[in-house]
Amino acid sequence: MTPEILAIIMFVTTLCFLLFGFPVAFTLAGSALIFAFIGDLLDIFNFRMLFFFPQRIYGIMINEALVAVPLFIFMGVMLEKTKIAGNLLESIGDLFGSIKGGLGIGVVLVGMLLAASTGIVGATVVTMGMLALPSMIKAGYDEKIATGTICAAGTLGQIIPPSIVLILLAEMLQGANEEAGLLTGDLAPLPVTAIDLFAGALIPGIILVAMFIIYILIVAKVRPKDLPITKTTKTRSEIIKTAMFEIIPPIFLILAVLGSIFMGIATPTESASVGAAGAAFLAFFRKQLNFKNISEAAITTAKMSSFVFIILIGASMFSLVFRGFGGDDMISNFLTNIPGGEYGALLIVMFTIFLLGFFLDYIEIIFVIIPLVGPGLIANGADPLWLGILISLNLQTSFLTPPFGFSLFFLRGVAPKTVQTINIYRGVIPFIFIQVIAIILVFVFPQIATWLPRLIN
Amino acid sequence: MYYKYLKNLSSIIDSTNKFAGHVCSLLVVLMTINVFLVVVLRYLFGISFIWMQETYVWMHAYIFMLGAGFTYFNDAHVRIDIIYKSSSPTYRAMVDLIGNLFLLLPFLYVIWIFSFPFVQKSWEMNEISREAGGLSMLYILKFAILLFAFLLFIQAISKIILSILKILNK
Repeated sequence: MTPEILAIIMFVTTLCFLLFGFPVAFTLAGSALIFAFIGDLLDIFNFRMLFFFPQRIYGIMINEALVAVPLFIFMGVMLEKTKIAGNLLESIGDLFGSIKGGLGIGVVLVGMLLAASTGIVGATVVTMGMLALPSMIKAGYDEKIATGTICAAGTLGQIIPPSIVLILLAEMLQGANEEAGLLTGDLAPLPVTAIDLFAGALIPGIILVAMFIIYILIVAKVRPKDLPITKTTKTRSEIIKTAMFEIIPPIFLILAVLGSIFMGIATPTESASVGAAGAAFLAFFRKQLNFKNISEAAITTAKMSSFVFIILIGASMFSLVFRGFGGDDMISNFLTNIPGGEYGALLIVMFTIFLLGFFLDYIEIIFVIIPLVGPGLIANGADPLWLGILISLNLQTSFLTPPFGFSLFFLRGVAPKTVQTINIYRGVIPFIFIQVIAIILVFVFPQIATWLPRLIN
Repeated sequence: MYYKYLKNLSSIIDSTNKFAGHVCSLLVVLMTINVFLVVVLRYLFGISFIWMQETYVWMHAYIFMLGAGFTYFNDAHVRIDIIYKSSSPTYRAMVDLIGNLFLLLPFLYVIWIFSFPFVQKSWEMNEISREAGGLSMLYILKFAILLFAFLLFIQAISKIILSILKILNK
């Protein structure tokens, strides 16, 4: 048996193992070990290669850029636990309630703001599903448009900076970029940083938000019955007064975090700490900064960052063995020989990622797939930045696609029982089309993604 | 009657990792304050210390390494649960039992045997940070790998006990 065949068997078997439902991190690592052992028996892999593994774990442990991840999680959980996120949603809903489709637009805007403050899709969809969906249904919104809007707005967290997806993606793309440099002989390729990806994702993210809002406005025009005006007992001045109190502080916080990153003043990690401290500060002013909220937020943060980074450890075991079998060379050869060159290879990779996104979380895809396909694509001439934005838009779309989209699961979990699952599925379809349009736009006009980062550099 | 002892063992393990989890959540708060202090010192006062930056990186490493067992105790390590979620408790117990025995435990064993010399070497040479003004005693940081393997190992034992009890319906 050649090592390449064993590499393919390993990949497919691991995917099958994952479907049984044992934790991803352990399955990736354990399955890789089993194959390392088989490879050692067949004399095509030296088990002693795993001797380098502790060095890899240590590399993850001392990576300063990754510290931004728990800090952003902590900031987001703080905003959620202290009801700042919920109040923001209510307040924006009131503010836009008097126009047709206003509540829907409010949800999109809140999705954008929560995305910019936390970047955790699950938390955003759950918050909006629990707070906005009942009030949308009560106002007489069509179930399809209500659920579709919430799911789509919730996934904005992946693309709108500062997104955790983009931080992790930058980390893996940088590794792929250096490998591609070795392949092409370019020993000092331009680095890809989280800041570059943040900047690159900003315009595509805003385009998505704009398209979502335009779509809602169009539907409100064509089928006014489905997106009625919301009735409220509050007076205009009351609404504006609470809005000042609820909306401006979080927006200021978000602008401070993003602004300091983009102006090159602070690194993402530093800005994230300012964001976390700022969230605690806002909570303090609302008399919500108590032991219970802080400790709950800290425990959630510890658990989430542990599961993310332990998957990274498992995935690096997987790729260590996969490379030992020559699997990476096989993939980059395959990608180089695809008809259609750079674009053909990219299309195949994008389609594969889209399909994998149905049953793998973005974390697994980024940690496992990027190191495998990244070097080949970049060596083929794809701009790593452009590639990163395309991949994150793509992942976001597959999060939204029935029947396995994560966003749909999260919403199903919190939606009232009366809301039919099929209506959630049908509701997201228009938004999937909008996503596809955005991907095509970025594909055809890479400047949408690359212009701002180049400007900043 | 042995089941009682097994259950006790499992709950001792669970409390150990719960304790580790509380340490981690304390570290989350300390780390946040630490990074924020670094920012304040640098941007408001123009002072920066390498050791302060290294401290938060160390804390971060400890959070996710030490927290792995606790996260497992809470069943918060992500699963692909398309099948798992809608299956019977017996199926889940079987998946957990087999997975722990053949995927997780071998992995932890390999980490342990390969990391032990790695940490030991650092201890023997009294390794310090490569950065001037950085932290000394680098083995404390590297020791987190062994701690990770140990805490996750005992949690796996606890899970194995629970799944066997589930399968035997005890």
